[in-house]
Amino acid sequence: MEDLVDSLTRGNVSQVKTVLASVVAVLSAYQVFLMAVGYGKVQLPFLRSKAASLAHRATGDMIVVVTLLVAFICLVYFEIGDGIEYARDGEQTRATIHVVAGSLLVAAIVLKVVVVRWWQRVSRYLPALGLTVFALFWVTWFTSAGNYLMGD
Amino acid sequence: MAETSSHKRQVVGSLLAAVLLVVVTVALVTAKIGPGLDSTELRDKEERQEERLEESEERREERED
Repeated sequence: MEDLVDSLTRGNVSQVKTVLASVVAVLSAYQVFLMAVGYGKVQLPFLRSKAASLAHRATGDMIVVVTLLVAFICLVYFEIGDGIEYARDGEQTRATIHVVAGSLLVAAIVLKVVVVRWWQRVSRYLPALGLTVFALFWVTWFTSAGNYLMGD
Repeated sequence: MAETSSHKRQVVGSLLAAVLLVVVTVALVTAKIGPGLDSTELRDKEERQEERLEESEERREERED
C-alpha cells in the first residue's frame, strides 16, 4: 500500500497531501458560505437558497471523497503512531493535535452524512455539525499543510 | 420554465465557482511548494545517498585496518 501511495504521488507524498488538504479546506469555507445562503442568513440577488443548498450537497460529495483519500494517504504512509513519534523535536504537540483533529474530522463528516441521508430526526443540529466540520478542517490543515507551507 | 432555467444556471454557476476556487488553490499551493521530485530523481537521490554511505563505511574500515 505504501508503494502504491508513493507511485501514485511520484514520490511527492507530503506535497500532494498538502495540495489536496488545501483544496478541501478552501472548499469547506465555500460550503459555509453556500449554506449561509441556503439558510437565508445571506441573501444574494443572483443565488437562491435552493440552488445554494444543491450546490452545497454536490460540492460536499466531492469534498468527502478527497478528504477520505487524504486520510487514507495519512494512515497508509505516515501511520498514526509514527506521525507523532517521528515528528521533529518540539513538533510532537502539533502532530498530536493534527492526528486528533483529523480523526475527529472524519468522524464528524461520517456523522453529518448519516444525519443528512438517514437520520433526519436530528437535522436541526446540522448547522452546528457543519460548523464543527469546518473548524476541524482548518485545525487539521493548520497543524499539517499550513505548517508545511509556512515553514519554508 | 424560466424559473427552472434560472435555478439550473445558479447551480451550475455555484459549481463553477467551486471549480475556480480549486484551480486557484492548486495553483497557489503548487507555486509555494515549487517543483517536486519525480520518481527518477528520487531514485537517483537514494542511490547517491547509498553510494556515499558505502564510501564512508569503506573509508572507516580502511582506517581500522
